[in-house]
Order: sequence, then C-alpha cells, then structure tokens
Amino acid sequence: MAENNEKKIGPVVSVLIPTFNRPRYLSEALASALRQSYRNLQIIVINDGGEDVSDIINSFNDSRIVFINRKENRGKASSLNEALIRAGGEYIAYLDDDDLFYPNHIETLVNALENETDCLVAYSDLYKVYCKVMPDGSRQVLSKVVEVSRDFDRFFMLYFNHVLHPSLMHRRDVLQKTGLYNENLKILIDWDMTRRLAFFTDFKHVYEITGQHYTPTGESDRISVQQRKDKNEYARNVLAIRTTRPAKPWTKIEDMSIIFVADLLNQQAGETLGLIWHHTFYPYKVYLPLPEADFNRIDTDMPNITLVPVNPLSSYAQKIDTSLGGCEGEYIVIVPSGFPVEQMWVEDSLYALINSSVSRQGFELEGSTDTFWAAVLRKGDLQYARSSFPNLSVRESLKAADIALRHPRPEELPFQFDILVKGVRMAEKDGNWAKAAQMLEYIADNHQNKLWMKTLAAKAFYKTGNFAQALKLSSEVNQQRPTVNTLLLEAKIYRKKRDFGSAIELLERAGQILGDPIKKIEIQSGNP
Amino acid sequence: MDIRQENDVEEHDSTQHYEVLQELGDCYTSVGNSIEAQRCYEKAASLGPDEPNPYVGLGVVALQKNLLDDAEIAFRVACRLDVNCAKAYAGLAMVARQRGDYKQAFQMYLKCLELDTDNLTALLGLFQVSCQMASFAEITHYLEVYLNMHPGDTSVMFSLGALYMKDERFERSKKILRDVLALDPANKDAANLLEEVEHNLVKAKQKGL
Repeated sequence: MAENNEKKIGPVVSVLIPTFNRPRYLSEALASALRQSYRNLQIIVINDGGEDVSDIINSFNDSRIVFINRKENRGKASSLNEALIRAGGEYIAYLDDDDLFYPNHIETLVNALENETDCLVAYSDLYKVYCKVMPDGSRQVLSKVVEVSRDFDRFFMLYFNHVLHPSLMHRRDVLQKTGLYNENLKILIDWDMTRRLAFFTDFKHVYEITGQHYTPTGESDRISVQQRKDKNEYARNVLAIRTTRPAKPWTKIEDMSIIFVADLLNQQAGETLGLIWHHTFYPYKVYLPLPEADFNRIDTDMPNITLVPVNPLSSYAQKIDTSLGGCEGEYIVIVPSGFPVEQMWVEDSLYALINSSVSRQGFELEGSTDTFWAAVLRKGDLQYARSSFPNLSVRESLKAADIALRHPRPEELPFQFDILVKGVRMAEKDGNWAKAAQMLEYIADNHQNKLWMKTLAAKAFYKTGNFAQALKLSSEVNQQRPTVNTLLLEAKIYRKKRDFGSAIELLERAGQILGDPIKKIEIQSGNP
Repeated sequence: MDIRQENDVEEHDSTQHYEVLQELGDCYTSVGNSIEAQRCYEKAASLGPDEPNPYVGLGVVALQKNLLDDAEIAFRVACRLDVNCAKAYAGLAMVARQRGDYKQAFQMYLKCLELDTDNLTALLGLFQVSCQMASFAEITHYLEVYLNMHPGDTSVMFSLGALYMKDERFERSKKILRDVLALDPANKDAANLLEEVEHNLVKAKQKGL
C-alpha cells in the first residue's frame, strides 16, 4: 500500500483492455498492467459479451480496475468506445487480452510524452512472440522478434499502419479531434485510429521494447486474423479507412481537392471515378462539375464527392474555374474522365509537390498526355493563373503565369525508404549479402530508422564473413536496445573468436528475454 | 492487431529459442561446464525435437564424463533424426575409439568424412586410428581433399608428410614438410621428420631407386 502512494505522481493513464473469451490470457495481461512501475493508473477491462471473467477481475482486488461487463458482443471498436467514455486519464494506453506490457511500458511512454516531445502520441517497440500453444493452453516461446520498429512516417501511415496498438499512448483530449473508434469497421480499427491521429500530431517513436504480443504457430484463432480471410470485407474496410476525413481543422495534413472533369456522365466517367476511389490513399474530396439536371443521375456509394452545378454549355476550363471556387484543398488535382488511374496515380506527383521548396511549380501525373492532361498544383498558383488568364486553357494559363509543370524525378517519389528496403530484401534473397549490407548502411545514413537498419546490416555483414563490422554494429545496437537476435548475433561472433565467456554472457541475456523478460526487468528495477 | 507490411517484417524464425540454447550449450561445452551444457541441450531438444544437434551435444557431454553408453545412445538418436549428421558419426567413432574398437571407429570416421570432408576432428581421428591400425590407404585421400580446401593447415600438412614418408613417397613428403617449416619455423616435429625423410632419400638414391 505504501508503494502505491509512493509513486502516485504524474498524470493518470487509462489502460483499456477489451476482452472476449480468453480468460486464461486475460489474467496474465491484466497482471502485467497492474505490475507497472508507473502506478497512477485507471485500468478499464471491458468484457465484450464473452465468457464471465468477474472472478479473474475480483481476484486482483485492485481499486484501480474498472470492470465493464457487457451482456452482448458488439465488437472491439464498440468496446473501446465504451471504455473511452469512462476513461478519466490524461493519457490512453491499450492492451489486448492476450498480450503483455513489461513493467516499464507506461512509465517509458508517459516520460516521453511529458518530457521529450510536443507530440500528442508516442509509441515504443514490442516483441512479436512466435509460440506453440501446448495442450494445457500454455504458450511455449519459439522466438521473439521486433518485427516492426519504424520511425513515424505520416505519408506511410496514410497508406498503411506501422504502429502496433499496444505500443501506443496518446492524450485523451486528442480524441475530440479524431473522434472515437469507427464501429462500422470489423478489422484494421487500430490503423483507422492511428491514421486519424496523424492528421493532428506527429508520433514520438521511443526505442525501447516495452511489451510483447503473441502469434501462435499454425492456425490462429485471433478474430482479426479470421476476418482478414474475407478479401472483400478486408478491401471494404481499407477503403472505408482511406476515405475517412476527420473534422477540420487538420493541423498536420493539407487537404487535396480532385476536380474531375467529364463531358458526359457515362460509363467511362463512372469507371474513372471508381478507380480514383479505389486507388487514392491521400485524404481527398472529389469535385464533380455537372449541369444540375445531371445531379440525380449520380448513384454511387463513393464518399467525399461534391457536386458542383455548372452551366450545360460551360467549357472545360470554365468547369474547372467554377469548381476551384469551392475547393477546400491546398492541393488541387485536375483529372479528366478516362484518365488511367492506378495505384500511386496521384500520390507520386503530390508527394513531390508537398516536399518541393520551389514556388510556382506543379507536377503532371504519370500518364498525362495532351489529350488526357492531369496535374497537381498548389491552389494559390492555380487561382493566380486562372484569374490572370481566364480566357486561356488551364494548361496555357499556367504557362503564361510562369508556373512550371514537370514530372517528378525518381528521387522525389514517396516511399524511397520502402523501395530501398525492398532492394535489400531482393539482394538477401539472391544471397548477395555484400550488396544488402552496403544498401543498409546507406539507408541508415539517409532515411531514418537507424537502429532498425543497423540491426539488419549487422546480420548482412555477418553473412558476408565481415565479422569485425558485424560485431561493431551488433554491439552498438545491443548497447542501445538489445534484442534476442542481436544478442545472438554478437554471441556467435564472440564464439568464432573463441571468447566463450563473452558469448555465454550474451546468450544468457538472450535466454532470459526468451524465458521471462518481466522477471528480468523487475530484478533490474528492484520492483517486486 | 492489424499490421502487415512486407518490408517491415523481419523473417519469421521459429527456431530462435532453440538456437540460443544450442549455442549456449556449445559454449558451455567449450569451457568444460558440462552441467550447464547438459541443461541447455536438454531444453534445446525439447524445443527442437526433430533437430539432431542437441543430441550431438549431449553425446559430447557424456563423452567428457566418460559415460560411453550414454554418449552412444545420444549420438545414435542424432543419426536417427538426421542420417546425414556428420558430427553424430564422428561422435560414434570417438565412442568406439575409447572402447578400443578401432575398426568401428575407422568406419564411423570415414562415414563422417563422406558427409563432411571439412570435419577436422574426424580427419585427425581417422589419422590416429589409421596409425593404430597401420592402415593408411584411405586417410591420405581425405587429408589431401581437406588440404585443398584449407591450404596452410600445418597439423594436417604434417600428418600428410608422415603418411607420404610411410609410403616411401619421400620427395612429396620433403616438399610438404618444408612448407610446414616455412609456415611454422619452430615446428620441431616437422624438422625432425624432415631430417628423417632426407636421410631416407639419400639411402634410396644410394640404392638407385
């Protein structure tokens, strides 16, 4: 009891633990949340209409636990929302009922958010534990790897998630901007939230391993894994997430308006619109200039379409001018019906524009021709060109206004990091470890994610037989953030050097992490 | 938890825990801590029930304790799990040698070298057993193969020099022993053997051979 009071300083953190029919693991998960070095916690367990877990909750006899026992199963998003409504903490953390926090988890993230950053969100690294489920339900650990350790990348976050939900902590008040969890989604609900958070804040990446999540070998019974198998449902969820636009103002993302110009509202126009819907991941709104008489011919589920009434006799340029007046976006895309829309159709050029420091410049889209001309521009530039030269075609007016148009160069395209890492993976597959090592060093120096790239480079150098470099890198990584793999690698090199004492020390550390990391951390930190 | 992106994902390695224990067992064996080594190998065997290496390790630990029956059982389990486990055959050869069964030891060393011509333990073991049996025909071949892959290994060069001398191939013996001394001028055994070879060469020339 004395200890409870002793560390009861700092803001309250609400830890949300939704559970459904996994009482055996819930007990371990809950224990790991209660054993935190940071004590000022509110722990909300929500049983989503599953097997009764009241006995488990009561057995802990801890006043910090709030138990919500729902009679019917309404899904994880709904559970989290109910918990969020009850949450009183300044910060929110999440724990799945079959995962574990290490005792430093909350303290690490609170410290980062309170003292190290202005970000409203922080995340740490987690071990992914591959395990075999034994007949008695216990989990035999086969390996522990830090599978994802990516520095925050907003553009990537819009495309897909790169932050594990149990590693996430955010301010509660940021939910007033993002809104609650989307209860219409069956899967990817965590990405939906992290993506929306990215509209309002950067994320602080803390390079510490503060927990673990489990992946049993063989067939997984996880609800999210099962639901992923329905490809249509999966695609529907991805589309729903990518077209979600939280309420404005957005502080970290500038909106994009797509002016879609069609002479006729025909099948081709419908198909192009459909492709835009399916292939655009940057937040957008489509502006569709049409004679009002055609409005009732629009029958689509596609979200984020604004119909712009125009005179039936309007020219192509006039339709754009009329639409431009109502566009909310900082970036304007002009695209004609029939334009070839594929993955990255607009994001390649948009990314180049966002990161361009040159003013009065626009980028044509891949596939743009004289017939099907398409480009992305800053709204101010386009407005200036149109107001200065209203009688010229859009393209000519830009030229007359001295606004340069070009295609992005390869180095201006997004996802350079991912392209390079893909190259590394291919080199590794071909057994060309020297090339992989060289590329990884280059990436570490030029594309963030230094620790992660160093880890991969250490392995690549080991494979080439350059043990000195492999030792240098793995030792550096182990001093900053040891993992089982890097400890094992360093130990193998010491063994080759016949320094068995050092090898044993490193392997024992790796063995402890694989055995019971919580015990290890508690011994180090002096907690019971 | 929904997150999956090809590039973000490290290779799934389900044998990591096993590998740590196996490495640890091998290190403890190297420093002579057979109790810890045995503990690690036993755990590794439970995590990798189809892997022969923990049983090879257990066999080595038993050999260190001179528990020949236990060692033989462990090496045989390893062979059963992987009929191509060279180390297990080397282990069986060592057990046979300890028991004085040189014929069996010879066969097991040969079997090991068929699977792994690089296995120095088996190579030197075969050489020693050959000496004990005074049968050198096959060992010369394996030593030559090994030396092609590891030029400059003076212990193998010396053994080969000795074998050439026994076969009365004095010129070859002289050359290889000189190579040994070039690499290791302080090698007294090589110097003594070279002296003997040169003496035999003179005698052979006198005989007009």
